[in-house]
Amino acid sequence: MTSKERVLAALEGKPVDRTPTCNPTSVATVELMDLVDAPFPNANREPELMARLAATGHTELGFDTIMPVFSIIQESSALGCKIQWEQKDNWPTVRMAEPIWETAEDIVIPDDFLTHQDTHCVLEAIRILKREYGDDVAIIGKTMGPWSMGYHCFGVEPFLLLSLDDPDATKRILDGLKEATVDFGVAQIEAGADALTLPDHATGDLVSGEYYARYLQDLHVEFVERIPIPLILHICGRTVDRMDYIAQTGMAAFHYDSKNKPGESMEIVKDRIALVGNINNPETLFSKGPEEVSAEVTDNLTSGVNLIGPECAVPLQTAVENLKAIPETVESWSNN
Amino acid sequence: MAELGDIQNEFIRAEIEEYLERPEEIERNIELFSRSRPKMQDMAAALIDGDNDTVDQLTREALDEGIEALEVMDDGLIAGMGIVGIKFRENIIFVPEVLACARAMKAGMAHIEPILSASGIDPVGTVIMGTVKGDLHDIGKNLCIMMLRGSGFVVHDLGVDTSEDEFMDAVEEHEASLLGMSALLTTTMPNMGKTIEAFIDADLREDVKIMVGGAPVTQEFADDMGADGYGKDALACVDLAKQLLEEIEEEQNA
Repeated sequence: MTSKERVLAALEGKPVDRTPTCNPTSVATVELMDLVDAPFPNANREPELMARLAATGHTELGFDTIMPVFSIIQESSALGCKIQWEQKDNWPTVRMAEPIWETAEDIVIPDDFLTHQDTHCVLEAIRILKREYGDDVAIIGKTMGPWSMGYHCFGVEPFLLLSLDDPDATKRILDGLKEATVDFGVAQIEAGADALTLPDHATGDLVSGEYYARYLQDLHVEFVERIPIPLILHICGRTVDRMDYIAQTGMAAFHYDSKNKPGESMEIVKDRIALVGNINNPETLFSKGPEEVSAEVTDNLTSGVNLIGPECAVPLQTAVENLKAIPETVESWSNN
Repeated sequence: MAELGDIQNEFIRAEIEEYLERPEEIERNIELFSRSRPKMQDMAAALIDGDNDTVDQLTREALDEGIEALEVMDDGLIAGMGIVGIKFRENIIFVPEVLACARAMKAGMAHIEPILSASGIDPVGTVIMGTVKGDLHDIGKNLCIMMLRGSGFVVHDLGVDTSEDEFMDAVEEHEASLLGMSALLTTTMPNMGKTIEAFIDADLREDVKIMVGGAPVTQEFADDMGADGYGKDALACVDLAKQLLEEIEEEQNA
Protein backbone atom coordinates (compact mmCIF):
# COMPACT_ATOMS: atom_id res chain seq x y z
CA MET A 1 0.00 0.00 0.00
CA THR A 2 1.10 3.58 -0.49
CA SER A 3 1.14 5.83 2.56
CA LYS A 4 -1.98 7.52 1.27
CA GLU A 5 -3.85 4.28 0.75
CA ARG A 6 -2.82 3.10 4.20
CA VAL A 7 -4.01 6.27 5.95
CA LEU A 8 -7.32 6.46 4.09
CA ALA A 9 -8.00 2.79 4.70
CA ALA A 10 -7.34 3.22 8.43
CA LEU A 11 -9.64 6.24 8.53
CA GLU A 12 -12.35 4.21 6.80
CA GLY A 13 -11.95 1.25 9.10
CA LYS A 14 -10.62 -0.98 6.34
CA PRO A 15 -7.69 -3.44 6.51
CA VAL A 16 -4.17 -2.07 6.28
CA ASP A 17 -0.78 -3.64 5.61
CA ARG A 18 0.58 -1.97 8.74
CA THR A 19 -0.58 0.68 11.17
CA PRO A 20 -0.10 4.13 9.62
CA THR A 21 1.90 6.84 11.36
CA CYS A 22 0.32 10.21 11.39
CA ASN A 23 0.31 13.55 13.09
CA PRO A 24 -2.93 15.38 12.47
CA THR A 25 -1.55 18.45 14.21
CA SER A 26 2.10 19.36 13.60
CA VAL A 27 5.53 17.75 13.47
CA ALA A 28 7.37 20.99 12.74
CA THR A 29 10.54 21.41 14.80
CA VAL A 30 13.40 23.90 14.82
CA GLU A 31 15.72 21.16 13.61
CA LEU A 32 13.49 20.52 10.57
CA MET A 33 13.13 24.25 9.95
CA ASP A 34 16.93 24.52 9.77
CA LEU A 35 17.17 21.45 7.55
CA VAL A 36 14.99 22.91 4.82
CA ASP A 37 15.47 26.62 5.58
CA ALA A 38 11.81 27.21 6.36
CA PRO A 39 11.74 28.95 9.73
CA PHE A 40 8.86 30.22 11.80
CA PRO A 41 7.20 32.66 11.71
CA ASN A 42 7.44 32.87 7.91
CA ALA A 43 6.67 29.18 7.43
CA ASN A 44 3.27 29.92 8.92
CA ARG A 45 2.54 32.69 6.39
CA GLU A 46 4.27 31.80 3.08
CA PRO A 47 2.94 28.80 1.12
CA GLU A 48 6.23 27.60 -0.31
CA LEU A 49 7.92 27.61 3.09
CA MET A 50 4.86 26.04 4.71
CA ALA A 51 4.81 23.24 2.14
CA ARG A 52 8.57 22.69 2.34
CA LEU A 53 8.56 22.39 6.12
CA ALA A 54 5.43 20.23 6.18
CA ALA A 55 6.88 17.78 3.68
CA THR A 56 9.70 16.89 6.08
CA GLY A 57 7.12 15.00 8.14
CA HIS A 58 7.20 12.39 5.38
CA THR A 59 10.56 12.87 3.69
CA GLU A 60 12.66 13.15 6.86
CA LEU A 61 10.60 11.52 9.58
CA GLY A 62 8.88 8.81 7.58
CA PHE A 63 5.27 9.57 8.57
CA ASP A 64 2.50 8.50 6.20
CA THR A 65 0.99 11.96 6.25
CA ILE A 66 1.91 15.53 5.50
CA MET A 67 0.09 18.20 7.47
CA PRO A 68 1.03 21.82 6.69
CA VAL A 69 -0.89 23.75 9.35
CA PHE A 70 1.52 24.04 12.26
CA SER A 71 -0.54 26.30 14.49
CA ILE A 72 -4.17 27.08 15.25
CA ILE A 73 -4.39 30.74 14.32
CA GLN A 74 -5.31 30.85 10.64
CA GLU A 75 -9.09 31.15 10.89
CA SER A 76 -8.96 33.53 13.84
CA SER A 77 -6.44 35.70 12.04
CA ALA A 78 -8.73 35.84 9.01
CA LEU A 79 -11.65 36.73 11.27
CA GLY A 80 -9.69 39.69 12.63
CA CYS A 81 -8.04 38.45 15.80
CA LYS A 82 -4.67 39.89 16.75
CA ILE A 83 -1.83 37.45 16.43
CA GLN A 84 1.50 37.42 18.26
CA TRP A 85 3.81 35.96 15.63
CA GLU A 86 6.90 35.29 17.79
CA GLN A 87 10.18 34.00 16.40
CA LYS A 88 11.55 30.74 15.02
CA ASP A 89 11.47 28.92 18.34
CA ASN A 90 7.89 29.67 19.33
CA TRP A 91 4.41 29.26 17.90
CA PRO A 92 2.24 32.17 16.80
CA THR A 93 -0.60 32.68 19.24
CA VAL A 94 -3.90 34.54 19.23
CA ARG A 95 -3.98 37.42 21.69
CA MET A 96 -6.99 36.10 23.53
CA ALA A 97 -6.65 38.83 26.15
CA GLU A 98 -7.74 41.21 23.35
CA PRO A 99 -10.96 39.58 22.12
CA ILE A 100 -12.59 41.01 19.02
CA TRP A 101 -16.22 40.21 19.86
CA GLU A 102 -18.55 40.29 22.85
CA THR A 103 -21.84 38.83 21.63
CA ALA A 104 -23.04 36.40 19.00
CA GLU A 105 -24.46 39.33 17.08
CA ASP A 106 -20.93 40.69 16.60
CA ILE A 107 -19.87 37.67 14.53
CA VAL A 108 -19.06 38.43 10.92
CA ILE A 109 -17.33 36.04 8.54
CA PRO A 110 -15.59 38.56 6.28
CA ASP A 111 -15.82 38.33 2.50
CA ASP A 112 -12.08 37.80 2.26
CA PHE A 113 -12.06 34.97 4.83
CA LEU A 114 -10.61 32.48 2.32
CA THR A 115 -8.32 34.95 0.58
CA HIS A 116 -6.79 36.39 3.75
CA GLN A 117 -3.03 35.79 3.83
CA ASP A 118 -3.22 33.13 6.53
CA THR A 119 -6.07 31.02 5.16
CA HIS A 120 -4.86 31.45 1.60
CA CYS A 121 -1.41 30.27 2.67
CA VAL A 122 -2.84 26.96 3.82
CA LEU A 123 -4.85 26.44 0.63
CA GLU A 124 -1.86 27.20 -1.55
CA ALA A 125 0.44 24.98 0.53
CA ILE A 126 -2.01 22.10 0.13
CA ARG A 127 -2.05 22.63 -3.65
CA ILE A 128 1.75 22.52 -3.72
CA LEU A 129 1.87 19.37 -1.58
CA LYS A 130 -0.85 17.71 -3.63
CA ARG A 131 1.18 18.28 -6.81
CA GLU A 132 4.42 17.00 -5.32
CA TYR A 133 3.33 14.22 -2.98
CA GLY A 134 -0.38 13.73 -3.44
CA ASP A 135 -0.21 10.44 -5.32
CA ASP A 136 1.53 8.60 -2.50
CA VAL A 137 1.16 10.53 0.74
CA ALA A 138 -1.99 11.56 2.58
CA ILE A 139 -2.28 15.36 2.73
CA ILE A 140 -4.10 16.41 5.87
CA GLY A 141 -5.51 19.91 6.24
CA LYS A 142 -6.93 21.55 9.33
CA THR A 143 -10.04 23.59 10.08
CA MET A 144 -10.67 24.90 13.58
CA GLY A 145 -13.94 24.13 15.31
CA PRO A 146 -16.28 26.79 16.69
CA TRP A 147 -15.49 26.13 20.38
CA SER A 148 -11.80 26.84 19.78
CA MET A 149 -12.62 29.90 17.71
CA GLY A 150 -14.91 30.99 20.55
CA TYR A 151 -11.89 31.10 22.86
CA HIS A 152 -9.92 33.11 20.33
CA CYS A 153 -12.59 35.61 19.36
CA PHE A 154 -14.33 36.14 22.70
CA GLY A 155 -11.55 35.39 25.19
CA VAL A 156 -11.28 32.14 27.13
CA GLU A 157 -12.76 33.29 30.43
CA PRO A 158 -15.61 35.39 29.00
CA PHE A 159 -16.54 32.52 26.69
CA LEU A 160 -16.50 29.91 29.44
CA LEU A 161 -18.49 32.14 31.80
CA LEU A 162 -21.03 32.78 29.06
CA SER A 163 -21.38 29.03 28.53
CA LEU A 164 -22.64 28.84 32.11
CA ASP A 165 -24.55 32.13 32.29
CA ASP A 166 -26.29 31.97 28.92
CA PRO A 167 -26.31 28.64 27.07
CA ASP A 168 -28.56 30.02 24.33
CA ALA A 169 -26.15 32.85 23.58
CA THR A 170 -23.29 30.36 23.57
CA LYS A 171 -25.10 28.20 21.03
CA ARG A 172 -25.72 31.23 18.85
CA ILE A 173 -21.98 31.94 18.94
CA LEU A 174 -21.19 28.37 17.94
CA ASP A 175 -23.73 28.51 15.13
CA GLY A 176 -22.21 31.73 13.89
CA LEU A 177 -18.66 30.44 13.94
CA LYS A 178 -19.38 27.00 12.49
CA GLU A 179 -19.71 28.52 9.02
CA ALA A 180 -16.03 29.45 9.15
CA THR A 181 -15.22 25.83 9.98
CA VAL A 182 -17.25 24.56 7.04
CA ASP A 183 -16.04 27.16 4.54
CA PHE A 184 -12.36 26.63 5.30
CA GLY A 185 -12.77 22.86 5.40
CA VAL A 186 -14.50 22.66 2.03
CA ALA A 187 -11.92 24.99 0.49
CA GLN A 188 -9.14 22.65 1.62
CA ILE A 189 -10.91 19.69 0.02
CA GLU A 190 -11.00 21.66 -3.23
CA ALA A 191 -7.29 22.43 -2.79
CA GLY A 192 -6.52 18.73 -2.57
CA ALA A 193 -6.63 17.63 1.06
CA ASP A 194 -7.33 13.94 1.66
CA ALA A 195 -8.52 14.40 5.24
CA LEU A 196 -8.95 17.23 7.71
CA THR A 197 -8.07 17.66 11.34
CA LEU A 198 -10.79 19.49 13.24
CA PRO A 199 -9.51 20.78 16.59
CA ASP A 200 -12.29 21.86 18.92
CA HIS A 201 -10.83 22.32 22.37
CA ALA A 202 -13.63 21.32 24.71
CA THR A 203 -10.96 19.63 26.76
CA GLY A 204 -11.55 17.80 30.01
CA ASP A 205 -9.01 20.13 31.56
CA LEU A 206 -11.53 22.94 31.14
CA VAL A 207 -15.07 21.62 30.69
CA SER A 208 -17.12 18.52 31.46
CA GLY A 209 -18.01 15.70 29.10
CA GLU A 210 -21.62 16.79 29.43
CA TYR A 211 -20.58 20.10 27.92
CA TYR A 212 -19.34 18.28 24.84
CA ALA A 213 -22.68 16.51 24.49
CA ARG A 214 -24.63 19.69 25.07
CA TYR A 215 -22.73 22.10 22.89
CA LEU A 216 -20.69 20.24 20.33
CA GLN A 217 -21.87 16.74 19.56
CA ASP A 218 -24.66 17.81 17.19
CA LEU A 219 -22.38 20.37 15.54
CA HIS A 220 -19.77 17.70 14.90
CA VAL A 221 -22.42 15.47 13.34
CA GLU A 222 -23.32 18.41 11.12
CA PHE A 223 -19.69 18.86 10.11
CA VAL A 224 -19.54 15.23 9.01
CA GLU A 225 -22.53 15.92 6.76
CA ARG A 226 -21.30 19.24 5.36
CA ILE A 227 -17.55 18.62 4.99
CA PRO A 228 -17.34 15.56 2.70
CA ILE A 229 -13.95 14.16 3.67
CA PRO A 230 -12.62 12.04 6.54
CA LEU A 231 -12.55 14.27 9.62
CA ILE A 232 -10.14 13.77 12.51
CA LEU A 233 -11.46 15.42 15.66
CA HIS A 234 -8.73 16.71 17.98
CA ILE A 235 -9.36 17.54 21.63
CA CYS A 236 -6.47 17.84 24.10
CA GLY A 237 -6.44 16.71 27.68
CA ARG A 238 -8.64 14.23 29.53
CA THR A 239 -11.43 13.08 27.26
CA VAL A 240 -12.45 9.55 28.27
CA ASP A 241 -15.69 10.95 29.67
CA ARG A 242 -16.69 12.22 26.24
CA MET A 243 -15.23 9.59 23.93
CA ASP A 244 -18.54 7.73 23.78
CA TYR A 245 -20.27 10.89 22.53
CA ILE A 246 -17.45 11.53 20.06
CA ALA A 247 -17.68 7.99 18.76
CA GLN A 248 -21.30 8.62 17.78
CA THR A 249 -20.61 11.68 15.61
CA GLY A 250 -19.63 9.84 12.46
CA MET A 251 -16.18 11.45 12.44
CA ALA A 252 -13.52 9.21 10.93
CA ALA A 253 -11.07 9.50 13.80
CA PHE A 254 -10.35 11.03 17.17
CA HIS A 255 -6.87 12.35 17.89
CA TYR A 256 -6.45 11.74 21.60
CA ASP A 257 -4.10 12.94 24.33
CA SER A 258 -1.68 10.97 26.51
CA LYS A 259 -3.81 11.71 29.57
CA ASN A 260 -6.04 8.90 28.31
CA LYS A 261 -4.75 5.32 28.27
CA PRO A 262 -4.80 3.57 24.87
CA GLY A 263 -6.51 0.42 26.10
CA GLU A 264 -9.17 2.28 28.05
CA SER A 265 -9.84 4.58 25.12
CA MET A 266 -10.15 1.74 22.61
CA GLU A 267 -12.54 -0.02 24.99
CA ILE A 268 -14.83 2.99 24.96
CA VAL A 269 -14.87 3.78 21.24
CA LYS A 270 -14.60 0.18 20.01
CA ASP A 271 -14.89 0.15 16.21
CA ARG A 272 -17.13 3.21 15.91
CA ILE A 273 -14.28 5.66 15.31
CA ALA A 274 -10.57 5.31 14.65
CA LEU A 275 -8.14 6.56 17.28
CA VAL A 276 -4.98 8.54 16.47
CA GLY A 277 -2.24 9.11 19.01
CA ASN A 278 -1.13 9.38 21.66
CA ILE A 279 2.62 9.68 22.26
CA ASN A 280 3.27 12.09 25.11
CA ASN A 281 4.83 15.39 24.03
CA PRO A 282 6.36 17.18 27.04
CA GLU A 283 7.44 14.17 29.10
CA THR A 284 8.44 11.74 26.36
CA LEU A 285 9.04 13.22 22.91
CA PHE A 286 10.54 16.44 24.30
CA SER A 287 12.30 15.17 27.41
CA LYS A 288 13.29 11.55 26.89
CA GLY A 289 14.76 9.39 24.14
CA PRO A 290 13.84 6.98 21.35
CA GLU A 291 13.52 4.04 23.74
CA GLU A 292 10.81 5.70 25.79
CA VAL A 293 9.06 6.86 22.60
CA SER A 294 9.15 3.32 21.30
CA ALA A 295 7.56 1.98 24.48
CA GLU A 296 4.58 4.30 24.13
CA VAL A 297 4.22 3.45 20.45
CA THR A 298 4.15 -0.23 21.34
CA ASP A 299 1.51 0.36 23.99
CA ASN A 300 -0.70 1.98 21.36
CA LEU A 301 -0.03 -0.78 18.84
CA THR A 302 -0.85 -3.57 21.26
CA SER A 303 -4.04 -1.77 22.20
CA GLY A 304 -5.07 -1.67 18.56
CA VAL A 305 -4.93 2.10 18.10
CA ASN A 306 -5.59 2.72 14.43
CA LEU A 307 -3.06 5.45 13.57
CA ILE A 308 0.01 6.17 15.68
CA GLY A 309 1.50 9.60 16.27
CA PRO A 310 2.24 12.33 18.80
CA GLU A 311 -0.64 13.47 20.99
CA CYS A 312 -0.59 17.05 19.69
CA ALA A 313 1.64 19.55 17.87
CA VAL A 314 5.12 18.45 18.86
CA PRO A 315 7.30 20.75 20.94
CA LEU A 316 9.47 22.77 18.57
CA GLN A 317 12.66 21.60 20.27
CA THR A 318 11.82 17.90 19.92
CA ALA A 319 14.74 15.88 18.58
CA VAL A 320 14.23 14.43 15.13
CA GLU A 321 15.51 11.05 16.29
CA ASN A 322 12.64 10.86 18.79
CA LEU A 323 10.08 11.57 16.09
CA LYS A 324 11.69 9.02 13.76
CA ALA A 325 11.34 6.44 16.50
CA ILE A 326 7.57 6.45 15.91
CA PRO A 327 7.50 5.09 12.33
CA GLU A 328 10.60 2.99 13.02
CA THR A 329 8.88 1.25 15.91
CA VAL A 330 5.71 0.70 13.91
CA GLU A 331 7.73 -0.77 11.04
CA SER A 332 9.65 -3.05 13.36
CA TRP A 333 6.51 -4.17 15.18
CA SER A 334 4.70 -4.98 11.98
CA ASN A 335 7.63 -7.05 10.72
CA ASN A 336 7.63 -9.25 13.82
CA MET B 1 -16.03 17.17 68.45
CA ALA B 2 -18.30 18.90 65.94
CA GLU B 3 -20.70 16.89 63.81
CA LEU B 4 -22.31 17.44 60.43
CA GLY B 5 -25.65 18.10 62.09
CA ASP B 6 -24.15 21.06 63.91
CA ILE B 7 -24.00 22.94 60.61
CA GLN B 8 -27.17 24.95 60.18
CA ASN B 9 -27.07 25.53 56.44
CA GLU B 10 -28.62 22.57 54.62
CA PHE B 11 -26.75 23.27 51.36
CA ILE B 12 -23.37 23.22 53.11
CA ARG B 13 -24.24 19.98 54.90
CA ALA B 14 -25.18 18.42 51.57
CA GLU B 15 -21.99 19.66 49.91
CA ILE B 16 -19.82 18.10 52.60
CA GLU B 17 -21.77 14.87 52.64
CA GLU B 18 -21.93 14.41 48.91
CA TYR B 19 -18.60 15.73 47.62
CA LEU B 20 -15.94 15.48 50.34
CA GLU B 21 -14.22 12.14 50.72
CA ARG B 22 -10.89 12.75 52.44
CA PRO B 23 -11.37 12.37 56.21
CA GLU B 24 -9.14 15.32 57.08
CA GLU B 25 -11.07 17.60 54.72
CA ILE B 26 -14.43 16.43 56.05
CA GLU B 27 -13.30 16.99 59.62
CA ARG B 28 -11.80 20.41 58.89
CA ASN B 29 -14.91 21.66 57.06
CA ILE B 30 -17.36 20.34 59.65
CA GLU B 31 -15.31 22.03 62.33
CA LEU B 32 -15.15 25.28 60.37
CA PHE B 33 -18.80 25.54 59.37
CA SER B 34 -20.23 24.27 62.64
CA ARG B 35 -18.71 27.19 64.53
CA SER B 36 -19.43 29.89 61.95
CA ARG B 37 -22.48 32.15 62.04
CA PRO B 38 -25.52 31.18 59.95
CA LYS B 39 -25.03 34.23 57.77
CA MET B 40 -21.47 33.13 57.00
CA GLN B 41 -22.69 29.68 56.12
CA ASP B 42 -25.32 31.22 53.83
CA MET B 43 -22.62 33.34 52.21
CA ALA B 44 -20.39 30.34 51.62
CA ALA B 45 -23.32 28.43 50.16
CA ALA B 46 -24.09 31.28 47.77
CA LEU B 47 -20.45 31.46 46.72
CA ILE B 48 -20.30 27.72 46.05
CA ASP B 49 -23.44 28.17 43.96
CA GLY B 50 -21.80 30.97 41.97
CA ASP B 51 -24.45 33.44 43.10
CA ASN B 52 -22.53 36.70 43.13
CA ASP B 53 -25.60 38.87 43.79
CA THR B 54 -26.39 37.03 47.02
CA VAL B 55 -22.74 37.05 48.11
CA ASP B 56 -22.64 40.78 47.49
CA GLN B 57 -25.84 41.35 49.47
CA LEU B 58 -24.87 39.12 52.39
CA THR B 59 -21.41 40.69 52.62
CA ARG B 60 -22.91 44.16 52.86
CA GLU B 61 -25.45 43.00 55.42
CA ALA B 62 -22.80 41.30 57.53
CA LEU B 63 -20.56 44.35 57.59
CA ASP B 64 -23.53 46.60 58.35
CA GLU B 65 -24.39 44.34 61.27
CA GLY B 66 -20.91 44.92 62.66
CA ILE B 67 -19.38 41.54 61.84
CA GLU B 68 -15.63 41.96 61.43
CA ALA B 69 -14.35 42.02 57.86
CA LEU B 70 -11.77 39.34 58.63
CA GLU B 71 -14.47 37.00 59.93
CA VAL B 72 -16.61 37.62 56.85
CA MET B 73 -13.65 36.85 54.60
CA ASP B 74 -12.49 33.77 56.50
CA ASP B 75 -15.79 32.16 57.46
CA GLY B 76 -17.90 33.23 54.50
CA LEU B 77 -15.77 33.68 51.42
CA ILE B 78 -12.62 31.64 51.99
CA ALA B 79 -14.62 28.83 53.57
CA GLY B 80 -16.80 28.65 50.47
CA MET B 81 -13.83 28.70 48.09
CA GLY B 82 -12.33 25.83 50.06
CA ILE B 83 -15.24 23.61 49.02
CA VAL B 84 -15.01 24.94 45.45
CA GLY B 85 -11.34 24.01 45.28
CA ILE B 86 -12.01 20.46 46.43
CA LYS B 87 -14.86 19.98 43.93
CA PHE B 88 -12.63 21.32 41.14
CA ARG B 89 -9.79 19.01 42.10
CA GLU B 90 -12.15 16.04 42.04
CA ASN B 91 -13.61 17.01 38.64
CA ILE B 92 -17.07 17.50 40.10
CA ILE B 93 -17.06 21.02 38.71
CA PHE B 94 -14.99 22.48 35.90
CA VAL B 95 -13.57 25.83 34.89
CA PRO B 96 -16.85 27.63 34.03
CA GLU B 97 -18.21 26.88 37.50
CA VAL B 98 -14.96 27.93 39.18
CA LEU B 99 -15.03 31.19 37.23
CA ALA B 100 -18.56 31.84 38.49
CA CYS B 101 -17.50 31.12 42.08
CA ALA B 102 -14.49 33.40 41.70
CA ARG B 103 -16.78 36.10 40.42
CA ALA B 104 -18.90 35.68 43.53
CA MET B 105 -15.81 35.83 45.74
CA LYS B 106 -14.76 39.01 43.99
CA ALA B 107 -18.18 40.54 44.67
CA GLY B 108 -17.71 39.96 48.38
CA MET B 109 -14.07 41.00 48.44
CA ALA B 110 -14.96 44.33 46.83
CA HIS B 111 -16.44 45.29 50.21
CA ILE B 112 -13.81 43.52 52.35
CA GLU B 113 -10.57 44.64 50.74
CA PRO B 114 -10.83 48.37 51.47
CA ILE B 115 -11.51 47.61 55.15
CA LEU B 116 -8.60 45.20 55.47
CA SER B 117 -6.24 47.53 53.64
CA ALA B 118 -7.16 50.40 55.93
CA SER B 119 -6.77 48.27 59.02
CA GLY B 120 -3.23 47.23 58.11
CA ILE B 121 -3.97 43.56 58.65
CA ASP B 122 -1.33 41.39 57.00
CA PRO B 123 -2.53 39.00 54.33
CA VAL B 124 -1.62 35.31 54.47
CA GLY B 125 1.13 36.10 51.99
CA THR B 126 1.98 38.16 48.93
CA VAL B 127 2.42 36.40 45.61
CA ILE B 128 3.54 37.61 42.21
CA MET B 129 2.03 35.58 39.38
CA GLY B 130 2.64 35.65 35.66
CA THR B 131 2.85 33.60 32.49
CA VAL B 132 6.39 33.57 31.13
CA LYS B 133 7.79 35.46 28.16
CA GLY B 134 6.41 34.38 24.80
CA ASP B 135 3.40 32.63 26.28
CA LEU B 136 -0.06 34.20 26.04
CA HIS B 137 -2.01 31.47 27.82
CA ASP B 138 -3.39 32.39 31.22
CA ILE B 139 -6.40 30.32 32.20
CA GLY B 140 -4.33 28.03 34.44
CA LYS B 141 -2.53 30.97 36.01
CA ASN B 142 -5.83 32.77 36.54
CA LEU B 143 -7.37 29.74 38.24
CA CYS B 144 -4.39 29.61 40.59
CA ILE B 145 -4.79 33.32 41.31
CA MET B 146 -8.50 32.86 42.07
CA MET B 147 -7.75 30.03 44.48
CA LEU B 148 -4.86 31.93 46.10
CA ARG B 149 -7.01 35.02 46.62
CA GLY B 150 -9.76 32.71 47.79
CA SER B 151 -7.35 31.51 50.46
CA GLY B 152 -6.40 34.97 51.69
CA PHE B 153 -3.28 35.69 49.67
CA VAL B 154 -2.67 39.05 48.06
CA VAL B 155 -1.78 38.34 44.45
CA HIS B 156 -0.26 40.74 41.96
CA ASP B 157 -1.03 39.46 38.49
CA LEU B 158 1.55 40.43 35.87
CA GLY B 159 -0.49 38.88 33.09
CA VAL B 160 1.04 37.07 30.14
CA ASP B 161 4.28 37.34 28.19
CA THR B 162 6.13 38.43 31.33
CA SER B 163 9.84 39.17 31.14
CA GLU B 164 12.48 38.34 33.73
CA ASP B 165 12.82 42.02 34.59
CA GLU B 166 9.09 42.38 35.11
CA PHE B 167 9.08 39.44 37.53
CA MET B 168 12.06 40.84 39.45
CA ASP B 169 10.69 44.38 39.58
CA ALA B 170 7.35 43.14 40.89
CA VAL B 171 8.91 40.98 43.60
CA GLU B 172 10.96 43.94 44.79
CA GLU B 173 8.16 46.51 44.52
CA HIS B 174 5.62 44.44 46.45
CA GLU B 175 8.16 42.76 48.76
CA ALA B 176 6.61 39.48 47.73
CA SER B 177 7.83 36.32 49.36
CA LEU B 178 6.38 34.10 46.64
CA LEU B 179 6.61 34.08 42.85
CA GLY B 180 4.53 31.82 40.65
CA MET B 181 5.30 31.26 36.97
CA SER B 182 3.09 29.52 34.46
CA ALA B 183 3.76 28.16 30.97
CA LEU B 184 1.49 26.24 28.64
CA LEU B 185 3.98 25.73 25.81
CA THR B 186 7.08 23.57 25.82
CA THR B 187 8.72 26.36 23.82
CA THR B 188 8.29 28.83 26.66
CA MET B 189 9.04 26.52 29.61
CA PRO B 190 12.79 27.26 29.40
CA ASN B 191 11.99 30.89 30.22
CA MET B 192 11.17 29.74 33.74
CA GLY B 193 14.76 28.60 34.13
CA LYS B 194 16.02 31.84 32.60
CA THR B 195 13.97 33.86 35.05
CA ILE B 196 15.34 31.89 37.98
CA GLU B 197 18.86 32.49 36.63
CA ALA B 198 18.10 36.20 36.39
CA PHE B 199 17.08 36.23 40.06
CA ILE B 200 20.37 34.52 40.94
CA ASP B 201 22.43 36.96 38.86
CA ALA B 202 20.65 39.90 40.46
CA ASP B 203 21.29 38.48 43.93
CA LEU B 204 17.56 38.26 44.57
CA ARG B 205 17.12 34.50 44.63
CA GLU B 206 17.27 34.20 48.39
CA ASP B 207 14.53 36.80 48.79
CA VAL B 208 11.75 34.79 47.18
CA LYS B 209 10.38 31.27 46.90
CA ILE B 210 9.59 30.36 43.30
CA MET B 211 6.87 27.94 42.27
CA VAL B 212 6.04 26.84 38.75
CA GLY B 213 3.19 25.12 36.95
CA GLY B 214 1.45 24.62 33.65
CA ALA B 215 0.34 21.76 31.47
CA PRO B 216 3.76 20.65 30.13
CA VAL B 217 5.63 21.34 33.39
CA THR B 218 6.59 18.44 35.63
CA GLN B 219 8.16 18.05 39.07
CA GLU B 220 11.31 16.85 37.37
CA PHE B 221 11.47 19.90 35.14
CA ALA B 222 10.82 22.19 38.10
CA ASP B 223 13.65 20.56 40.05
CA ASP B 224 16.06 20.84 37.10
CA MET B 225 15.29 24.53 36.75
CA GLY B 226 15.91 25.24 40.42
CA ALA B 227 12.33 26.10 41.34
CA ASP B 228 11.27 25.69 44.96
CA GLY B 229 8.09 23.86 44.09
CA TYR B 230 5.73 22.58 41.40
CA GLY B 231 1.95 22.71 41.54
CA LYS B 232 0.03 20.41 39.24
CA ASP B 233 -3.26 22.25 39.57
CA ALA B 234 -4.85 25.31 41.19
CA LEU B 235 -5.54 23.67 44.54
CA ALA B 236 -2.05 22.21 44.68
CA CYS B 237 -0.75 25.73 44.00
CA VAL B 238 -2.44 26.99 47.16
CA ASP B 239 -1.11 24.10 49.26
CA LEU B 240 2.35 24.72 47.83
CA ALA B 241 2.17 28.44 48.57
CA LYS B 242 1.26 27.73 52.18
CA GLN B 243 4.03 25.16 52.47
CA LEU B 244 6.60 27.58 51.07
CA LEU B 245 5.49 30.24 53.54
CA GLU B 246 6.07 27.76 56.37
CA GLU B 247 9.55 27.08 54.99
CA ILE B 248 10.28 30.81 54.95
CA GLU B 249 9.17 31.10 58.56
CA GLU B 250 11.31 28.14 59.61
CA GLU B 251 14.30 29.62 57.81
CA GLN B 252 13.78 32.96 59.49
CA ASN B 253 13.49 31.32 62.91
CA ALA B 254 16.54 29.13 62.39
